[in-house]
Amino acid sequence: MIDFTVKIGGEAGFGIMTTGLFLGKIATRSGYHAFEYSEYPSLIRGGHNVIEVRISDEEVHSQGQGVDLLLCLNKETADLHGHEVREGGVIVFDNEKTDESKLMKPDRNIHYVHIPFSRILRENSLPMVMLNNIALGVLMHLIGADMEILNTLIAETFARKGEEIITKNREAATLGMNEAKKNFKIDILHKLEKKSVISPKLYITGNEVIGLGAIRAGCQFYCAYPMTPSSAILHYLASKAEKAGIVVKHAEDEISVINMALGASWAGARSMVATSGGGFALMVEAVSLSGMTETPIVIVMGQRPGPATGMPTWTEQGDLHFVIRSGHGEFPKIVLAPGDVGEAYKLTVEAFNLADRYQTPVLIMADKYLQEGHQSVEKFEIQSRFDRDRIDRGKLLSQEELLKITSYKRYLITDDGISSRALPGMKQSLHQANSYEHGEDGHTTEDAGERVKQVDKRNRKEATYLSNDFRLPEVFGAKEPPLTVVSWGSMKGPILQAMKESGGSFNYVHFSRLWPLDFGKLKEFLGRFGKFLLIENNSTGQLGQLLTMATGIEFPQKLLKYSGRPVYPHEIMVKIKELL
Amino acid sequence: MNGQTATAKINSAFLGYFPTWCPGCGNFGIWSSLKTAFNKLQLEPDKMAVIFGIGCSGNMNDFLWANSFHALHGRAIPTAVGVKIANHKLPVIVIAGDGDTYGEGGNHLLHAARGNHDITVIVHDNRVYGLTTGQVAPTASKGAKSKSTPQGLIEVPVNPLALALTQGATFVAQGFSQDLVHLTDLIMSGINHRGFSLINVFQPCVTFNPANGYAFYRERVYKLAGDYDRSNLRLALDKSLELEDKIPIGIVYKTERPVYTDFLNQLKEKALVEEDITNRDLNKFIAEFI
Repeated sequence: MIDFTVKIGGEAGFGIMTTGLFLGKIATRSGYHAFEYSEYPSLIRGGHNVIEVRISDEEVHSQGQGVDLLLCLNKETADLHGHEVREGGVIVFDNEKTDESKLMKPDRNIHYVHIPFSRILRENSLPMVMLNNIALGVLMHLIGADMEILNTLIAETFARKGEEIITKNREAATLGMNEAKKNFKIDILHKLEKKSVISPKLYITGNEVIGLGAIRAGCQFYCAYPMTPSSAILHYLASKAEKAGIVVKHAEDEISVINMALGASWAGARSMVATSGGGFALMVEAVSLSGMTETPIVIVMGQRPGPATGMPTWTEQGDLHFVIRSGHGEFPKIVLAPGDVGEAYKLTVEAFNLADRYQTPVLIMADKYLQEGHQSVEKFEIQSRFDRDRIDRGKLLSQEELLKITSYKRYLITDDGISSRALPGMKQSLHQANSYEHGEDGHTTEDAGERVKQVDKRNRKEATYLSNDFRLPEVFGAKEPPLTVVSWGSMKGPILQAMKESGGSFNYVHFSRLWPLDFGKLKEFLGRFGKFLLIENNSTGQLGQLLTMATGIEFPQKLLKYSGRPVYPHEIMVKIKELL
Repeated sequence: MNGQTATAKINSAFLGYFPTWCPGCGNFGIWSSLKTAFNKLQLEPDKMAVIFGIGCSGNMNDFLWANSFHALHGRAIPTAVGVKIANHKLPVIVIAGDGDTYGEGGNHLLHAARGNHDITVIVHDNRVYGLTTGQVAPTASKGAKSKSTPQGLIEVPVNPLALALTQGATFVAQGFSQDLVHLTDLIMSGINHRGFSLINVFQPCVTFNPANGYAFYRERVYKLAGDYDRSNLRLALDKSLELEDKIPIGIVYKTERPVYTDFLNQLKEKALVEEDITNRDLNKFIAEFI
């Protein structure tokens, strides 16, 4: 069975990430599954970047422990990650960059392969940008992959730059491959033979799949201010804006971002914004405005370690309480948290429908781990949704419907808490969206009775959501195991991987809908399980606290990680062994 | 001024509740001029968007009945920009105060001017915060004493016209709320102008800033001469520096530049909100991920 991890490390700015992306695509195009995990500092040049690609016959949900092939393009890679290489693994190094005598550990069964990257560049007068092609050529040989796939990828990538550039890139890859053949003759790693039957896969990041979901959901206005880990949604949608019919605006700050989006949404455009904790903190006043004016909006909240600027390029789930409680005053909001790229697509499409249906903010909580790493997902899994995806704009009135209403009231008191929406520009649409408390017609009011009626009306949306759209968490794994893991969002991957690798000694309760929660149903639901292990990528167990508040059920057993790194499957397995 | 009876006949299309402003408030003049301008331009209340800021000026939301969004303090401009992008066929007008536009939301003014978003921003400038009962506004004179500056304001005032001019606004004007006819013309010109329009309106706060009352402005304002070259940016900048002794009113600068939405091919045929979004084909988007 094939299941191995390649780690590539080098100086930032020299194409490490592209090398990893190509490797993942080569794997998926050969019929395998792939999962990517990267670590990089908040610098543009000169920092140390690493990217890991795990390649497997079977579906792979997370990075693994240990590395089978370490490709060192700088000294730090060898120094910092040499010890991660498993027995029987391979370390590729350049002796101009790395001290061979220090690298080699005679007591370990590791194959050391010297590839003179620097010399190859020099002797062939190749610029630094060709380094990743040479590295890919080396990898092609070491993992026994089909060089034709790489050649095709190069041609696709540089199609616009012309034949000459394509040839140069291919030649550099061939130089790498030949050098690897010369220096490394034995087959150590599994051969990544192209499978005879290949079901097409997308190799895609959380950010890109959220972008795809937004396009499909009919997003018309996307507004953002760059902030890791959500900037790539802006990049993706900006590059597709015209083709998709979306206006993408890079505004001056996050405050402007969300207020523009609310303006566009009030005028009738489906609107989305994305940011991270710091940017979201600036948006929070307008989250409340969305609640008060009942203007739909989808907000992607990409978490990273805080407080303040924190560790910008690392991962954490530290903002759950902040998001659920965001915004002054009391108003309903809906918070979703996809666990992987498939779920991210589905929940993004749904988020737009929920926002229109409930006319209130809908938040998608993700994090660096889910947003920036590539994961393979069956093309079918995404494609098969296209037919099921539907656009539900809730109580948005058409012009015909509006004309039938004799005296339109934007904030009409209704049983489900949701009032019909007319758009400015429609005949007889006269109304105002009011940030002040207002009566049914939108006019400002400070009348006690009207105030209470409007608060109750807005709050009733939560009850409507709970009866129509609340879903209990999904349960993965065996029916009655001795232990149940509880977690949320992106930790789904490492948990499912651990479940698989441990042979199913536990099951997993996955929360992807975090707010509002039906406390009664949840209490009954959680009551069916025995012993719990709470796993979260934060230091205080925020989901656990929330569930305890909601149900009284406590989570004394916890695995909390807040080092800026995701939880690893083996850490889960160790913890579970302790508990069983 | 008897606002309701004086304006009800000609302005009934836009008439909301009778204002709660203090008697003598400079806002009445702006309110009246706005309604006259809207009527003269034959705007329809349901086919336009008025975005209000927060303050005594923003409270006009209940007195001026048109499709409107009463936004957050300081954020009327970005809200308006969003509305305009979503439906560039709607006339979009911002009614906000000096605190809204030059204080809390100062950043948005710069960037909306840069983008030449086709919105008309009408700022109520009275050098004081009225709704919060008397603190200095960003336009207050150096040394101004107020509840927040009992020893006198240390900062020099913001220069709204110079700010807008240097950031790329294509229509910059100044008015005085006591001169309704002149102000009505300015508002009409601002709405008719394709591009970002700033109209700074002196609008005395008789309750919290009597020092800058009607007499103060009447003694200082003068109308730009008929032969004033409003297309000359350097001249406009010179005029914008006349802040205290002699203060110009009128169209200080006007130029033509394509507006933000002109650059968006997505909007060439229809407004964004008119596009059918129900069945976008994703197949053409997923190929690159395989």
